[in-house]
Amino acid sequence: MRLEATDLRSGYGTVPVLHGVSLTVSSGEIVALVGRNGAGKTTLVKTVLGVLRSTGGALHLDGVDITRMPPSRRVRAGLRATFQERALFGALTVSDNLRLSGFGSESHDRVLDAFGPALSGRGSQRTGTLSGGEQKMLAAAIALATDASLLVMDEPTEGLQPSNVALLGDHIESARDAGRGVLLIEQHLELAKRLADRFIVLEKGEVVDSGPAADPDLAARVARRLLI
Amino acid sequence: MDALTLELLNGASLFAILAIVALGLGIVFGLMGVINLAHGEFVMLGAYVAYVVHTVGLNHWLSVPLAAVVLFVLGVVIEVGLIRRIHRQPELTILATFGLSVCLRQIAELVFSKDFQSVPNPVPGATEAFGVLFPTYRYLLIAIAAVVVAATLLAFTRSRFGLVVRAIVADRDLAESAGIRTGMTNLCAFGVGAATAGIAGALVAPLGAVEPQAGLAYLPGAFLVVIVGGYNRLWGVAAGALTVAAVQTGVIHFYDAVWAQIASLALAVLVLQFRRPTPAGAVA
Repeated sequence: MRLEATDLRSGYGTVPVLHGVSLTVSSGEIVALVGRNGAGKTTLVKTVLGVLRSTGGALHLDGVDITRMPPSRRVRAGLRATFQERALFGALTVSDNLRLSGFGSESHDRVLDAFGPALSGRGSQRTGTLSGGEQKMLAAAIALATDASLLVMDEPTEGLQPSNVALLGDHIESARDAGRGVLLIEQHLELAKRLADRFIVLEKGEVVDSGPAADPDLAARVARRLLI
Repeated sequence: MDALTLELLNGASLFAILAIVALGLGIVFGLMGVINLAHGEFVMLGAYVAYVVHTVGLNHWLSVPLAAVVLFVLGVVIEVGLIRRIHRQPELTILATFGLSVCLRQIAELVFSKDFQSVPNPVPGATEAFGVLFPTYRYLLIAIAAVVVAATLLAFTRSRFGLVVRAIVADRDLAESAGIRTGMTNLCAFGVGAATAGIAGALVAPLGAVEPQAGLAYLPGAFLVVIVGGYNRLWGVAAGALTVAAVQTGVIHFYDAVWAQIASLALAVLVLQFRRPTPAGAVA
Protein backbone atom coordinates (compact mmCIF):
# COMPACT_ATOMS: atom_id res chain seq x y z
CA MET A 1 0.00 0.00 0.00
CA ARG A 2 1.23 3.47 -0.82
CA LEU A 3 0.02 6.82 0.47
CA GLU A 4 0.85 9.70 -1.80
CA ALA A 5 0.22 13.36 -1.02
CA THR A 6 0.72 15.74 -3.91
CA ASP A 7 0.92 19.48 -3.35
CA LEU A 8 -1.44 19.07 -0.39
CA ARG A 9 -2.87 22.28 1.03
CA SER A 10 -5.15 22.88 3.98
CA GLY A 11 -5.77 25.14 6.92
CA TYR A 12 -8.33 26.43 9.36
CA GLY A 13 -10.96 28.80 7.99
CA THR A 14 -9.14 31.39 5.97
CA VAL A 15 -5.79 30.67 7.60
CA PRO A 16 -3.66 28.38 5.40
CA VAL A 17 -1.33 26.02 7.26
CA LEU A 18 -0.07 23.52 4.67
CA HIS A 19 1.33 25.21 1.57
CA GLY A 20 1.66 22.31 -0.83
CA VAL A 21 3.09 19.26 0.92
CA SER A 22 4.16 16.30 -1.19
CA LEU A 23 5.22 13.02 0.38
CA THR A 24 4.87 9.27 0.03
CA VAL A 25 4.68 6.45 2.55
CA SER A 26 4.88 2.88 1.30
CA SER A 27 4.32 -0.52 2.84
CA GLY A 28 7.18 -1.77 4.94
CA GLU A 29 8.68 1.60 5.76
CA ILE A 30 8.60 4.07 8.59
CA VAL A 31 8.68 7.70 7.54
CA ALA A 32 9.40 10.10 10.37
CA LEU A 33 7.83 13.50 9.93
CA VAL A 34 9.60 16.00 12.14
CA GLY A 35 9.29 19.69 12.65
CA ARG A 36 9.03 22.30 15.33
CA ASN A 37 5.78 23.26 17.03
CA GLY A 38 3.47 24.99 14.57
CA ALA A 39 5.15 23.43 11.53
CA GLY A 40 1.83 21.89 10.46
CA LYS A 41 2.42 18.25 11.45
CA THR A 42 -0.91 17.74 13.19
CA THR A 43 -2.70 19.63 10.42
CA LEU A 44 -1.13 17.20 7.96
CA VAL A 45 -2.35 14.21 10.00
CA LYS A 46 -5.87 15.63 10.13
CA THR A 47 -5.83 16.35 6.40
CA VAL A 48 -4.50 12.92 5.50
CA LEU A 49 -7.25 11.27 7.53
CA GLY A 50 -9.89 13.63 6.17
CA VAL A 51 -10.96 15.20 9.45
CA LEU A 52 -9.74 18.47 7.94
CA ARG A 53 -10.66 19.16 4.33
CA SER A 54 -7.82 19.85 1.97
CA THR A 55 -8.04 23.12 0.09
CA GLY A 56 -5.81 21.96 -2.73
CA GLY A 57 -3.65 19.16 -4.00
CA ALA A 58 -4.45 15.46 -3.96
CA LEU A 59 -4.19 12.38 -1.80
CA HIS A 60 -3.96 8.90 -3.26
CA LEU A 61 -4.03 5.58 -1.48
CA ASP A 62 -2.76 2.82 -3.71
CA GLY A 63 -3.56 4.97 -6.72
CA VAL A 64 -7.13 5.62 -5.60
CA ASP A 65 -7.99 9.29 -5.17
CA ILE A 66 -9.13 9.67 -1.55
CA THR A 67 -8.97 13.48 -1.46
CA ARG A 68 -12.74 13.89 -1.06
CA MET A 69 -13.45 10.67 0.82
CA PRO A 70 -14.90 10.97 4.35
CA PRO A 71 -12.57 9.71 7.11
CA SER A 72 -14.58 6.53 7.73
CA ARG A 73 -14.08 5.44 4.10
CA ARG A 74 -10.36 6.16 4.32
CA VAL A 75 -10.23 3.98 7.44
CA ARG A 76 -12.01 1.17 5.64
CA ALA A 77 -9.58 1.60 2.75
CA GLY A 78 -6.73 0.75 5.12
CA LEU A 79 -5.66 4.02 6.70
CA ARG A 80 -5.60 4.50 10.44
CA ALA A 81 -4.45 7.43 12.57
CA THR A 82 -3.82 8.15 16.20
CA PHE A 83 -4.21 11.77 17.14
CA GLN A 84 -2.00 13.76 19.45
CA GLU A 85 -5.05 14.85 21.44
CA ARG A 86 -8.58 13.51 21.75
CA ALA A 87 -7.46 10.10 20.61
CA LEU A 88 -10.15 8.16 22.50
CA PHE A 89 -13.71 8.54 23.76
CA GLY A 90 -13.05 9.53 27.36
CA ALA A 91 -16.65 9.14 28.53
CA LEU A 92 -16.83 5.53 27.31
CA THR A 93 -15.16 2.50 28.86
CA VAL A 94 -11.94 1.03 27.53
CA SER A 95 -13.91 -1.96 26.21
CA ASP A 96 -16.37 0.35 24.43
CA ASN A 97 -13.44 2.09 22.73
CA LEU A 98 -12.18 -1.30 21.59
CA ARG A 99 -15.65 -2.30 20.35
CA LEU A 100 -15.93 0.93 18.36
CA SER A 101 -12.70 0.06 16.59
CA GLY A 102 -14.14 -3.30 15.62
CA PHE A 103 -12.62 -5.58 18.24
CA GLY A 104 -14.82 -8.38 19.55
CA SER A 105 -14.72 -9.05 23.28
CA GLU A 106 -12.54 -12.14 22.69
CA SER A 107 -9.69 -9.94 21.45
CA HIS A 108 -9.83 -7.23 24.12
CA ASP A 109 -7.29 -8.89 26.41
CA ARG A 110 -4.87 -9.36 23.51
CA VAL A 111 -4.97 -5.64 22.70
CA LEU A 112 -4.77 -4.51 26.31
CA ASP A 113 -1.88 -6.85 27.12
CA ALA A 114 0.24 -5.47 24.26
CA PHE A 115 1.93 -2.97 26.58
CA GLY A 116 2.44 -5.28 29.54
CA PRO A 117 0.39 -5.07 32.70
CA ALA A 118 -0.38 -1.31 32.50
CA LEU A 119 -3.68 -1.75 30.69
CA SER A 120 -4.45 -5.38 31.54
CA GLY A 121 -7.85 -5.93 33.08
CA ARG A 122 -8.85 -2.27 32.68
CA GLY A 123 -11.62 -2.98 30.16
CA SER A 124 -14.46 -1.79 32.37
CA GLN A 125 -12.70 1.43 33.41
CA ARG A 126 -13.90 4.73 31.99
CA THR A 127 -11.22 5.77 29.50
CA GLY A 128 -11.12 9.36 30.72
CA THR A 129 -9.95 8.15 34.12
CA LEU A 130 -6.79 6.56 32.68
CA SER A 131 -3.64 8.66 32.97
CA GLY A 132 -2.51 10.63 29.91
CA GLY A 133 0.26 8.10 29.24
CA GLU A 134 -2.12 5.16 29.58
CA GLN A 135 -4.52 6.77 27.13
CA LYS A 136 -1.66 7.25 24.67
CA MET A 137 -0.71 3.59 25.05
CA LEU A 138 -4.30 2.48 24.56
CA ALA A 139 -4.72 4.60 21.43
CA ALA A 140 -1.48 3.22 20.01
CA ALA A 141 -2.38 -0.35 21.00
CA ILE A 142 -5.74 -0.03 19.24
CA ALA A 143 -4.23 1.42 16.06
CA LEU A 144 -1.47 -1.20 15.95
CA ALA A 145 -3.92 -4.05 16.58
CA THR A 146 -6.20 -3.08 13.68
CA ASP A 147 -5.58 -4.53 10.26
CA ALA A 148 -4.85 -1.08 8.78
CA SER A 149 -2.12 -1.21 6.15
CA LEU A 150 -1.01 2.34 6.74
CA LEU A 151 -0.66 3.96 10.15
CA VAL A 152 -0.35 7.66 10.81
CA MET A 153 0.76 8.23 14.39
CA ASP A 154 0.83 11.75 15.79
CA GLU A 155 3.22 12.07 18.74
CA PRO A 156 2.43 8.59 20.11
CA THR A 157 5.17 8.72 22.74
CA GLU A 158 4.18 12.05 24.28
CA GLY A 159 3.69 11.55 28.01
CA LEU A 160 4.94 7.95 28.05
CA GLN A 161 7.51 6.77 30.55
CA PRO A 162 10.86 5.78 28.93
CA SER A 163 10.31 2.01 29.21
CA ASN A 164 6.99 2.32 27.39
CA VAL A 165 8.55 4.58 24.74
CA ALA A 166 10.98 1.77 23.95
CA LEU A 167 8.16 -0.80 23.99
CA LEU A 168 6.03 1.30 21.64
CA GLY A 169 9.06 1.65 19.36
CA ASP A 170 9.34 -2.14 19.24
CA HIS A 171 5.66 -2.44 18.30
CA ILE A 172 6.02 0.16 15.53
CA GLU A 173 9.05 -1.69 14.18
CA SER A 174 7.10 -4.94 14.26
CA ALA A 175 4.33 -3.26 12.27
CA ARG A 176 6.87 -2.15 9.66
CA ASP A 177 8.41 -5.64 9.56
CA ALA A 178 4.93 -7.06 9.00
CA GLY A 179 4.73 -4.97 5.81
CA ARG A 180 2.76 -2.00 7.08
CA GLY A 181 3.61 1.59 6.30
CA VAL A 182 3.95 4.09 9.15
CA LEU A 183 3.98 7.88 9.00
CA LEU A 184 5.38 8.75 12.40
CA ILE A 185 5.14 12.28 13.73
CA GLU A 186 7.67 12.35 16.52
CA GLN A 187 9.40 14.99 18.63
CA HIS A 188 11.44 12.32 20.37
CA LEU A 189 14.37 12.55 17.95
CA GLU A 190 16.30 9.57 19.29
CA LEU A 191 13.31 7.29 18.79
CA ALA A 192 12.67 8.73 15.34
CA LYS A 193 16.31 8.06 14.38
CA ARG A 194 16.09 4.51 15.71
CA LEU A 195 12.88 3.67 13.83
CA ALA A 196 12.76 5.73 10.66
CA ASP A 197 13.75 4.61 7.21
CA ARG A 198 13.26 8.13 5.89
CA PHE A 199 12.97 11.61 7.36
CA ILE A 200 10.74 14.41 6.16
CA VAL A 201 11.21 17.82 7.75
CA LEU A 202 8.24 20.14 7.79
CA GLU A 203 8.62 23.86 8.42
CA LYS A 204 5.86 26.47 8.18
CA GLY A 205 3.64 24.10 6.24
CA GLU A 206 6.26 23.10 3.67
CA VAL A 207 8.64 20.20 3.26
CA VAL A 208 12.08 21.76 3.63
CA ASP A 209 14.23 18.65 3.78
CA SER A 210 13.95 14.90 3.31
CA GLY A 211 16.01 11.81 2.68
CA PRO A 212 17.07 8.43 4.01
CA ALA A 213 17.50 8.25 7.76
CA ALA A 214 20.84 6.51 7.27
CA ASP A 215 22.27 9.70 5.76
CA PRO A 216 24.40 11.19 8.58
CA ASP A 217 24.28 14.68 7.01
CA LEU A 218 20.48 14.63 6.99
CA ALA A 219 20.38 13.44 10.62
CA ALA A 220 22.61 16.33 11.58
CA ARG A 221 20.50 18.83 9.61
CA VAL A 222 17.32 17.47 11.22
CA ALA A 223 18.83 17.82 14.69
CA ARG A 224 19.98 21.33 13.90
CA ARG A 225 16.58 22.40 12.55
CA LEU A 226 14.81 21.07 15.63
CA LEU A 227 17.22 22.74 18.00
CA ILE A 228 17.21 26.17 16.37
CA MET B 1 -60.54 9.29 45.70
CA ASP B 2 -62.12 8.27 42.38
CA ALA B 3 -61.52 11.77 41.00
CA LEU B 4 -57.85 11.56 41.96
CA THR B 5 -57.49 8.13 40.34
CA LEU B 6 -59.09 9.47 37.19
CA GLU B 7 -56.71 12.43 37.17
CA LEU B 8 -53.76 10.08 37.59
CA LEU B 9 -54.94 7.97 34.68
CA ASN B 10 -55.44 11.10 32.58
CA GLY B 11 -51.93 12.14 33.57
CA ALA B 12 -50.57 8.74 32.53
CA SER B 13 -52.36 9.03 29.19
CA LEU B 14 -50.95 12.52 28.65
CA PHE B 15 -47.49 11.25 29.62
CA ALA B 16 -47.78 8.45 27.04
CA ILE B 17 -48.75 10.85 24.25
CA LEU B 18 -46.09 13.42 25.17
CA ALA B 19 -43.36 10.80 25.50
CA ILE B 20 -44.04 9.09 22.22
CA VAL B 21 -44.44 12.35 20.30
CA ALA B 22 -41.29 13.87 21.82
CA LEU B 23 -39.17 10.75 21.44
CA GLY B 24 -38.34 11.34 17.78
CA LEU B 25 -37.69 15.01 18.39
CA GLY B 26 -35.28 14.07 21.20
CA ILE B 27 -33.44 11.57 19.00
CA VAL B 28 -33.00 13.97 16.09
CA PHE B 29 -32.08 16.96 18.23
CA GLY B 30 -29.96 14.96 20.64
CA LEU B 31 -27.94 13.09 18.05
CA MET B 32 -27.78 15.45 15.13
CA GLY B 33 -28.37 18.80 16.78
CA VAL B 34 -31.20 19.34 14.29
CA ILE B 35 -34.19 21.31 15.56
CA ASN B 36 -36.86 19.68 13.43
CA LEU B 37 -39.80 22.05 13.15
CA ALA B 38 -41.51 19.56 10.81
CA HIS B 39 -41.76 16.95 13.58
CA GLY B 40 -45.41 17.80 14.21
CA GLU B 41 -46.13 17.23 10.51
CA PHE B 42 -44.57 13.77 10.78
CA VAL B 43 -47.10 13.07 13.55
CA MET B 44 -49.86 14.47 11.30
CA LEU B 45 -48.78 12.20 8.42
CA GLY B 46 -48.79 9.21 10.77
CA ALA B 47 -52.39 10.08 11.63
CA TYR B 48 -53.22 10.24 7.92
CA VAL B 49 -51.73 6.75 7.47
CA ALA B 50 -54.24 5.59 10.10
CA TYR B 51 -56.99 7.43 8.22
CA VAL B 52 -56.06 5.78 4.92
CA VAL B 53 -55.90 2.36 6.58
CA HIS B 54 -59.38 2.98 7.99
CA THR B 55 -60.68 4.25 4.61
CA VAL B 56 -59.56 1.13 2.75
CA GLY B 57 -61.17 -1.01 5.44
CA LEU B 58 -58.09 -2.49 7.07
CA ASN B 59 -57.59 -3.05 10.78
CA HIS B 60 -56.51 0.09 12.65
CA TRP B 61 -53.62 -1.69 14.38
CA LEU B 62 -52.03 -2.27 10.99
CA SER B 63 -51.62 1.47 10.70
CA VAL B 64 -49.10 1.59 13.58
CA PRO B 65 -46.30 -0.42 11.91
CA LEU B 66 -47.32 0.93 8.51
CA ALA B 67 -46.99 4.53 9.73
CA ALA B 68 -43.57 3.65 11.15
CA VAL B 69 -42.42 2.28 7.80
CA VAL B 70 -43.89 5.11 5.71
CA LEU B 71 -42.44 7.80 7.96
CA PHE B 72 -39.08 6.02 8.21
CA VAL B 73 -38.81 6.06 4.41
CA LEU B 74 -39.94 9.69 4.28
CA GLY B 75 -37.43 10.56 7.01
CA VAL B 76 -34.62 8.89 5.06
CA VAL B 77 -35.58 10.76 1.89
CA ILE B 78 -35.67 14.09 3.77
CA GLU B 79 -32.35 13.38 5.47
CA VAL B 80 -30.65 12.60 2.16
CA GLY B 81 -32.32 15.36 0.19
CA LEU B 82 -32.24 18.16 2.72
CA ILE B 83 -30.86 17.64 6.24
CA ARG B 84 -27.56 16.03 5.23
CA ARG B 85 -26.46 19.15 3.43
CA ILE B 86 -27.15 21.55 6.29
CA HIS B 87 -27.20 19.63 9.57
CA ARG B 88 -24.08 21.33 10.91
CA GLN B 89 -25.71 24.75 10.52
CA PRO B 90 -28.47 25.02 13.16
CA GLU B 91 -29.97 28.25 11.81
CA LEU B 92 -30.36 26.70 8.35
CA THR B 93 -31.96 23.53 9.73
CA ILE B 94 -34.54 25.62 11.59
CA LEU B 95 -35.43 27.53 8.43
CA ALA B 96 -35.39 24.44 6.23
CA THR B 97 -37.53 22.31 8.54
CA PHE B 98 -39.95 25.22 8.99
CA GLY B 99 -40.28 25.37 5.19
CA LEU B 100 -40.62 21.61 5.11
CA SER B 101 -43.44 21.74 7.67
CA VAL B 102 -45.34 24.24 5.50
CA CYS B 103 -44.80 22.05 2.42
CA LEU B 104 -45.99 18.90 4.18
CA ARG B 105 -49.13 20.67 5.43
CA GLN B 106 -49.88 21.95 1.92
CA ILE B 107 -49.31 18.50 0.42
CA ALA B 108 -51.65 16.97 3.00
CA GLU B 109 -54.21 19.63 2.13
CA LEU B 110 -53.89 18.92 -1.60
CA VAL B 111 -54.22 15.17 -1.12
CA PHE B 112 -56.79 14.98 1.70
CA SER B 113 -58.38 18.49 1.63
CA LYS B 114 -58.68 20.85 4.59
CA ASP B 115 -61.60 18.89 6.01
CA PHE B 116 -61.41 17.29 9.40
CA GLN B 117 -61.33 13.51 9.09
CA SER B 118 -61.85 11.00 11.81
CA VAL B 119 -60.53 7.58 12.60
CA PRO B 120 -62.91 5.48 14.68
CA ASN B 121 -61.73 4.20 18.02
CA PRO B 122 -60.66 0.59 17.41
CA VAL B 123 -61.38 -0.34 21.02
CA PRO B 124 -64.47 1.59 22.04
CA GLY B 125 -65.81 1.46 25.55
CA ALA B 126 -64.29 1.75 28.96
CA THR B 127 -62.62 -0.58 31.38
CA GLU B 128 -63.29 -0.48 35.08
CA ALA B 129 -60.11 -0.60 37.09
CA PHE B 130 -58.86 1.04 40.30
CA GLY B 131 -62.51 1.84 41.05
CA VAL B 132 -63.04 4.06 37.98
CA LEU B 133 -64.13 3.70 34.38
CA PHE B 134 -61.43 4.75 31.92
CA PRO B 135 -61.38 4.45 28.11
CA THR B 136 -59.88 1.09 27.14
CA TYR B 137 -58.09 2.60 24.15
CA ARG B 138 -56.23 4.99 26.44
CA TYR B 139 -55.06 2.06 28.57
CA LEU B 140 -53.73 0.47 25.39
CA LEU B 141 -52.16 3.76 24.35
CA ILE B 142 -50.29 3.96 27.64
CA ALA B 143 -49.07 0.37 27.28
CA ILE B 144 -47.97 0.75 23.64
CA ALA B 145 -46.24 4.07 24.31
CA ALA B 146 -44.41 2.52 27.27
CA VAL B 147 -43.22 -0.38 25.10
CA VAL B 148 -42.13 1.88 22.20
CA VAL B 149 -40.30 4.31 24.50
CA ALA B 150 -38.63 1.50 26.49
CA ALA B 151 -37.61 -0.36 23.31
CA THR B 152 -36.14 2.81 21.80
CA LEU B 153 -34.28 3.63 25.00
CA LEU B 154 -32.88 0.08 25.14
CA ALA B 155 -31.86 0.24 21.49
CA PHE B 156 -30.00 3.48 22.10
CA THR B 157 -28.32 2.43 25.33
CA ARG B 158 -27.67 -1.31 25.11
CA SER B 159 -26.96 -2.03 21.45
CA ARG B 160 -23.91 -1.43 19.30
CA PHE B 161 -25.97 1.18 17.47
CA GLY B 162 -26.42 2.96 20.79
CA LEU B 163 -22.68 2.81 21.45
CA VAL B 164 -22.00 4.25 18.01
CA VAL B 165 -24.49 7.03 18.67
CA ARG B 166 -22.81 7.88 21.98
CA ALA B 167 -19.45 7.96 20.25
CA ILE B 168 -20.71 10.30 17.53
CA VAL B 169 -22.29 12.57 20.09
CA ALA B 170 -19.05 12.68 22.08
CA ASP B 171 -16.82 13.44 19.10
CA ARG B 172 -18.04 13.17 15.52
CA ASP B 173 -14.58 13.55 13.95
CA LEU B 174 -13.04 10.96 16.23
CA ALA B 175 -15.90 8.59 15.46
CA GLU B 176 -15.27 9.02 11.74
CA SER B 177 -11.58 8.38 12.38
CA ALA B 178 -12.49 5.12 14.09
CA GLY B 179 -14.20 4.07 10.86
CA ILE B 180 -17.75 4.82 12.00
CA ARG B 181 -19.98 5.98 9.17
CA THR B 182 -21.55 8.96 10.89
CA GLY B 183 -23.59 9.84 7.80
CA MET B 184 -25.28 6.43 7.88
CA THR B 185 -25.97 6.80 11.61
CA ASN B 186 -27.54 10.23 11.00
CA LEU B 187 -29.68 8.68 8.29
CA CYS B 188 -30.88 5.93 10.65
CA ALA B 189 -31.45 8.40 13.49
CA PHE B 190 -33.54 10.75 11.36
CA GLY B 191 -35.47 7.80 9.95
CA VAL B 192 -36.12 6.35 13.43
CA GLY B 193 -37.11 9.81 14.72
CA ALA B 194 -39.63 10.18 11.90
CA ALA B 195 -40.85 6.60 12.39
CA THR B 196 -41.59 7.16 16.09
CA ALA B 197 -43.51 10.33 15.13
CA GLY B 198 -45.47 8.24 12.63
CA ILE B 199 -46.30 5.68 15.33
CA ALA B 200 -47.41 8.52 17.60
CA GLY B 201 -49.63 9.92 14.84
CA ALA B 202 -51.29 6.57 14.16
CA LEU B 203 -51.89 6.03 17.87
CA VAL B 204 -53.39 9.46 18.57
CA ALA B 205 -55.49 9.52 15.37
CA PRO B 206 -58.61 7.99 17.03
CA LEU B 207 -58.42 10.58 19.83
CA GLY B 208 -58.98 13.68 17.71
CA ALA B 209 -59.49 15.14 14.27
CA VAL B 210 -57.13 14.19 11.48
CA GLU B 211 -56.40 17.33 9.48
CA PRO B 212 -53.41 19.07 7.84
CA GLN B 213 -52.85 21.46 10.77
CA ALA B 214 -53.01 18.70 13.41
CA GLY B 215 -49.24 18.50 13.79
CA LEU B 216 -49.04 22.09 15.04
CA ALA B 217 -50.80 21.06 18.23
CA TYR B 218 -48.13 18.50 19.10
CA LEU B 219 -44.94 20.43 18.38
CA PRO B 220 -44.95 22.87 21.36
CA GLY B 221 -45.63 20.07 23.84
CA ALA B 222 -42.87 17.94 22.36
CA PHE B 223 -40.39 20.81 22.59
CA LEU B 224 -41.39 21.47 26.20
CA VAL B 225 -40.67 17.83 27.00
CA VAL B 226 -37.26 17.93 25.33
CA ILE B 227 -36.37 21.20 27.07
CA VAL B 228 -37.51 20.02 30.50
CA GLY B 229 -36.04 16.51 30.20
CA GLY B 230 -32.83 17.61 28.55
CA TYR B 231 -31.48 16.67 25.18
CA ASN B 232 -28.18 15.24 26.34
CA ARG B 233 -29.78 12.03 27.61
CA LEU B 234 -32.46 10.19 25.69
CA TRP B 235 -34.09 8.98 28.89
CA GLY B 236 -34.53 12.69 29.61
CA VAL B 237 -37.41 12.58 27.10
CA ALA B 238 -39.24 10.10 29.34
CA ALA B 239 -38.37 12.14 32.44
CA GLY B 240 -39.44 15.36 30.69
CA ALA B 241 -42.73 13.84 29.55
CA LEU B 242 -43.40 12.62 33.09
CA THR B 243 -42.64 16.04 34.58
CA VAL B 244 -44.68 18.00 32.04
CA ALA B 245 -47.60 15.55 32.31
CA ALA B 246 -47.50 15.74 36.12
CA VAL B 247 -47.43 19.56 36.09
CA GLN B 248 -50.20 19.84 33.51
CA THR B 249 -52.43 17.26 35.20
CA GLY B 250 -51.89 18.84 38.61
CA VAL B 251 -52.62 22.37 37.40
CA ILE B 252 -55.66 21.23 35.42
CA HIS B 253 -56.93 19.52 38.57
CA PHE B 254 -56.67 22.69 40.64
CA TYR B 255 -57.15 25.41 37.97
CA ASP B 256 -57.68 24.89 34.25
CA ALA B 257 -55.99 23.92 30.96
CA VAL B 258 -54.80 27.46 30.18
CA TRP B 259 -52.94 27.72 33.49
CA ALA B 260 -51.56 24.22 32.84
CA GLN B 261 -49.98 25.43 29.59
CA ILE B 262 -48.60 28.53 31.31
CA ALA B 263 -47.18 26.39 34.12
CA SER B 264 -45.45 24.04 31.61
CA LEU B 265 -43.94 26.98 29.81
CA ALA B 266 -42.76 28.53 33.09
CA LEU B 267 -41.23 25.18 34.05
CA ALA B 268 -39.33 25.06 30.75
CA VAL B 269 -38.03 28.61 31.25
CA LEU B 270 -37.00 27.74 34.81
CA VAL B 271 -35.17 24.61 33.68
CA LEU B 272 -33.31 26.56 31.00
CA GLN B 273 -32.21 29.11 33.59
CA PHE B 274 -30.61 26.47 35.79
CA ARG B 275 -29.26 24.09 33.17
CA ARG B 276 -25.57 24.12 32.41
CA PRO B 277 -24.92 24.99 28.77
CA THR B 278 -24.71 21.82 26.69
CA PRO B 279 -23.86 21.71 23.02
CA ALA B 280 -26.71 20.60 20.81
CA GLY B 281 -26.19 17.16 19.42
CA ALA B 282 -25.89 15.05 22.50
CA VAL B 283 -27.89 11.92 23.10
CA ALA B 284 -26.91 8.93 25.16
